[in-house]
Amino acid sequence: MKIKVLFFASIREIFDCNEKIVDITHNANLTPDLLLENFSSTEKGPWLILLNKKKLVRVAINQTIAEWQSPLFDGDELAFLPPITGG
Amino acid sequence: MSISIQKEIFSTEDVILKMKESNLSIGAVVTFTGFVRDFYDNKEGKKLEQLELEHYAGMTEKMLSKIELEANARWLLEDTQIIHRVGVLLPSDPIVLVAVASKHRGDAFDACHFIIDYLKVDAPFWKKEKTNMDEYWVNDRKEDSLSKDRWEKVSSKKTN
Repeated sequence: MKIKVLFFASIREIFDCNEKIVDITHNANLTPDLLLENFSSTEKGPWLILLNKKKLVRVAINQTIAEWQSPLFDGDELAFLPPITGG
Repeated sequence: MSISIQKEIFSTEDVILKMKESNLSIGAVVTFTGFVRDFYDNKEGKKLEQLELEHYAGMTEKMLSKIELEANARWLLEDTQIIHRVGVLLPSDPIVLVAVASKHRGDAFDACHFIIDYLKVDAPFWKKEKTNMDEYWVNDRKEDSLSKDRWEKVSSKKTN
C-alpha cells in the first residue's frame, strides 16, 4: 500500500525533503510504529535517526494526532511531528 | 470565529475595532499577543537575529478550529479570532494573537487563556531560532503541557 509521509522542522532537515510517497507491503496491520521499524532496518539513514528520536516525536494520520499503534490504510497521510513550539 | 495563518504583520487594535463594529452586544474583548523576544544575555555576545516559523498547512487550521469550537462550547462568547504568523520574524515582531469577545469579562478572560494554552501544545507550529552564532529548533517546554492539562480539570462555566 502507498502512504504519503510528511516531514516537518528538524525531521524535514534530517530527511532533506518535505514528503515521500512510500510503498510498503505488509501482511499484518500497518501502523506508524511498524512503518518506521521497517524503513529503519531496510533503508537506514534518516529513518534510523528518526527511530532514535522516536520518544520525542508525535504522529498524525490524515491531519489528526494519532498513536504510534494506530492503523494505517492505503492512501493515508502520515506526518512525523517533532516537539511543537508555536505561539 | 476566524483563523488566519499569515506571513503579514497584524494589528491587535484593528482586530478589536473590527470585532466591536460587527457586534454591538460585545461588552469585553480580551487579547493575548505573543512577540519574538531576544532572551540572550548580552555579556556573552549572543543575539537572536531571526525566528523562522514553520507549520503543517491544513492540520494547523484544523487544530485551531477545534480549539476555537471547544472554547465556544465552554464559555459564552460573541467572537473569537486567532492569527498566527509563519515565515521569517525579527525580534519584537508579533507572532500570535488570540482575541476573544464576550458580553462579560469573565468568559473572555478564561477563553483567551484556554485558547493560547491549547494552541501552544496542539497546533503544529515549529520555531527555529537563528542567532549571530548558531541556529537550532526550539524545544518544547514542559510548562506548556502542564498549563494545558490544568484546563482539563476545569469544568465548563457556560450556563446556557
